[in-house]
Amino acid sequence: MLKTNLSILAVVIGCLGVFTWVANAIPQIQSDVPEDLVLSDDVTPEELIAAGEELYNGGGGCTACHGLGERAPNLLTDHAGTGLIGERCANRVAGEDCKQYLHTSMVDPNAYLVEGFAPIMLDASRTLSSVQIWALVAYLQSLGGEVTVSGADFADDGGAAAAGGVVASAPAAPVLGPTGPLDPEELLTRHTCATCHAVTGQSPLGPSYEGMGSRLTADEIRTSILDPTASAAEGFEAMLGIMPPIFGNIPAAELEAIVQFIASQR
Amino acid sequence: MLPGVEITSERNVPKPGMTWRSGAGPILLLGALVLLVMAEPAFAQVPAGRDYGDFPVIGGRAAVWVAAQVHLLFAAFVLGVPMFAVVTEAIGMFGGDERYDKLSKEFTRLLLVAYSATAIWGGILLFLLVTIYPTLFSYLAQIFNLSMWIYVGLFFFESFTLYLYYYGWDRWKKGRAKWFHWGLGIALNVWGTIVMFIANGWLTYMMSPPADVTVDTAPQMVQLWSALTNATWMPINIHRLIANVVFGGAVVGAYAAYRFLAAKSDEERAHYDWMGYVGNMIAIGALIVLPFAGYWLGREIYEFNQQMGITMMGGFMSWLWIIQAFLIGILFLAGNYYLWVGMGRIPGAERFMPYTKYMLAVLIVGVIVWATPNTMIASREEFAAMGGTHHPFLSVLGLMSGKNTAVNFMILTTFLSFLLYRRANKEPVVPWARTGTIVQGAIFVVASAIVLFYGIYGYMVPTLVRIGFSVYQVLTVLACIIGVITIDLLMLRGATSRGEIQWGRMPQRSQYALFILAVTFTWLMGLMGFARSGIRQHWHVFEVIRDTSPWAATPALGYSSVVISACVLIFFGLVAFIFWLGSLAEKPVISSAGRASAAGGIQSELQPAPSEG
Repeated sequence: MLKTNLSILAVVIGCLGVFTWVANAIPQIQSDVPEDLVLSDDVTPEELIAAGEELYNGGGGCTACHGLGERAPNLLTDHAGTGLIGERCANRVAGEDCKQYLHTSMVDPNAYLVEGFAPIMLDASRTLSSVQIWALVAYLQSLGGEVTVSGADFADDGGAAAAGGVVASAPAAPVLGPTGPLDPEELLTRHTCATCHAVTGQSPLGPSYEGMGSRLTADEIRTSILDPTASAAEGFEAMLGIMPPIFGNIPAAELEAIVQFIASQR
Repeated sequence: MLPGVEITSERNVPKPGMTWRSGAGPILLLGALVLLVMAEPAFAQVPAGRDYGDFPVIGGRAAVWVAAQVHLLFAAFVLGVPMFAVVTEAIGMFGGDERYDKLSKEFTRLLLVAYSATAIWGGILLFLLVTIYPTLFSYLAQIFNLSMWIYVGLFFFESFTLYLYYYGWDRWKKGRAKWFHWGLGIALNVWGTIVMFIANGWLTYMMSPPADVTVDTAPQMVQLWSALTNATWMPINIHRLIANVVFGGAVVGAYAAYRFLAAKSDEERAHYDWMGYVGNMIAIGALIVLPFAGYWLGREIYEFNQQMGITMMGGFMSWLWIIQAFLIGILFLAGNYYLWVGMGRIPGAERFMPYTKYMLAVLIVGVIVWATPNTMIASREEFAAMGGTHHPFLSVLGLMSGKNTAVNFMILTTFLSFLLYRRANKEPVVPWARTGTIVQGAIFVVASAIVLFYGIYGYMVPTLVRIGFSVYQVLTVLACIIGVITIDLLMLRGATSRGEIQWGRMPQRSQYALFILAVTFTWLMGLMGFARSGIRQHWHVFEVIRDTSPWAATPALGYSSVVISACVLIFFGLVAFIFWLGSLAEKPVISSAGRASAAGGIQSELQPAPSEG
């Protein structure tokens, strides 16, 4: 029986060994995380190209489709006799230079769908930062063309370098600041305040914001948002405890915009 | 504070033109109370400190990976085996053949210890998740808390239903009591299936969260039902249901092989030979259906997110499918080999044996075509070395047209093996037997021609059209299987026998094929688990919660294969222990004072009927 057991063990180990060996014998490709880019606003074209190339072949995931010439236009070599991407980009859309065309193709990929391909690409800005996208543009321009991307392009996108540098990570990284425009009424909607509180007129559940600024200071409003069980508005005592204490999670800048807006309702 | 998670609920805001009805106050009040109740635990659970823990030596991710994979393997076993245990019990009940009842009970005996192992590994997984991924777990718990409580409750019911099912086997053996007992088996399957569906909801949410869940959506605002019934939930449910049957059949086959090799008597050997055959038939039979569920899952992934689908099939995972083809090739070859060797114990099978070499040739060519890569990541230097973006010749075989054609031919060949095995010792007596056989042959020829036609035509049409051809090929093969087996069932009614199957007269080497099948199935499950989870890449919840841990990069196949092999080794080590425990349970009866007579009693129950095919 020992012999049988050992032979079974050998078969099991042998199978696992073969499978593991085969899996290690093929090309080893790891899916990297798009890394943060630290670029100064006087970044050189060479630095941009290097960053873009690394992203293109790594965490950007571009090579899954581009370069194969089947799912998406070939960006690494000539495509249908039109030349390399750096050459042909300026001729694709009348009135758009190469840089503009490539950038638009990434953030609005269906705008200029190349004939013969399905609209399968998603907006690159969902997973890549502005700096990363511009680095990719620079890399693609370098494939047969002149690189015209510079640090000024990130600045134009609102990512101007604080203290001389731009640290960019993918936008879905932990959100530490405002997530959108600081339009108070939009914020009230987005953070569900309007579900219970009306800006004017009768509210669905809680007190209306109308005239609230004349009754409460900004500090009191802020406190009542962060700790809604502390006190109840007159006439709403029975509702005390209904408002959940979860709105302290709103980014500080957005909270402040909401507080100032409510305080201004006199 | 959860990374990237903030409070918002656009879906709760009245759309333009909508107003709150005056009578909606109580509903709103109730809604607000529910919101509060849901929100408070959320606050309590938000970890104050770290997002990730660690684990010595292998790291946190690998620890969770191993725990999850081993837990899943045991769970698949305890969900798959009851499915065919209840079916074999029904065959015994309605067919009046007690051997199937015994077989069903033996299947169930294996479940008892496997259940404990499933629960233990589930506990290990839970504690590892809480300690290594506390923030992510807190996020998921806030969404799925209700379903988690239901899950635990069902697990309780499931366990006690199993105990009743097994320990009540002999007590509820006759008449209405047997029906009650069979009902317990069905209930066991129902609980198990719901448990799996719930757990699938959690993991598919991470893979394909509803479109309205964004990086800004607070977990309290995610609707439970919407989160559970996400885009890939039902395809995964169906795929796993079938895969569990395949896996359960394979492990039962390995158990039977072990008992066959350890058998002390011809009767015992005959029983376990039969059991191994049944296990293999279940595994291969369900495997044939599995690719269809896989197609559906793949399509849903593409529909959910094209880039996710491309990452899976053509991105950094492109080589994974080559490994998968290699593994499935082994499964087909081992399964067919077992059948062909098994035909040696069937009188009359010798007339079909000359055909096996042609079937082997088809299978080998099929594996080679299937394992040919086409689309994969390559550098400019590699493209230059190849002379273009595709290999000048081999890339033709690597296209979906070639691969689909190869797979469908392999399925048809395997089905033909089963058919020949089934027909080996039977002599049809119906007057239209010759016509029936010709019609069966014609169906095979027509089906092969259609598969081949669409395979070749696929090279002449655009990709999107070509993908649709795979459906025609699959439907053709399914129609062939159904048509041929229907004719066979009718044609073999009252058939005479060319001789009884000599159960137990099976070469020992055939049993190792069953081990290879079980190990390969298990490894394949680990690989596909990696594929499913890995296509999320550096996201815990795809495009909602980003993985910012030190292990955020999705590893290459080499590293993954080591982890998968470790999981498989742990699983089979524990399964071997369970099998050994199972054999201990029998010993008191066999080794009692009346050993010879008792053993004879057991053996006579175990022995399959000679004519069983």
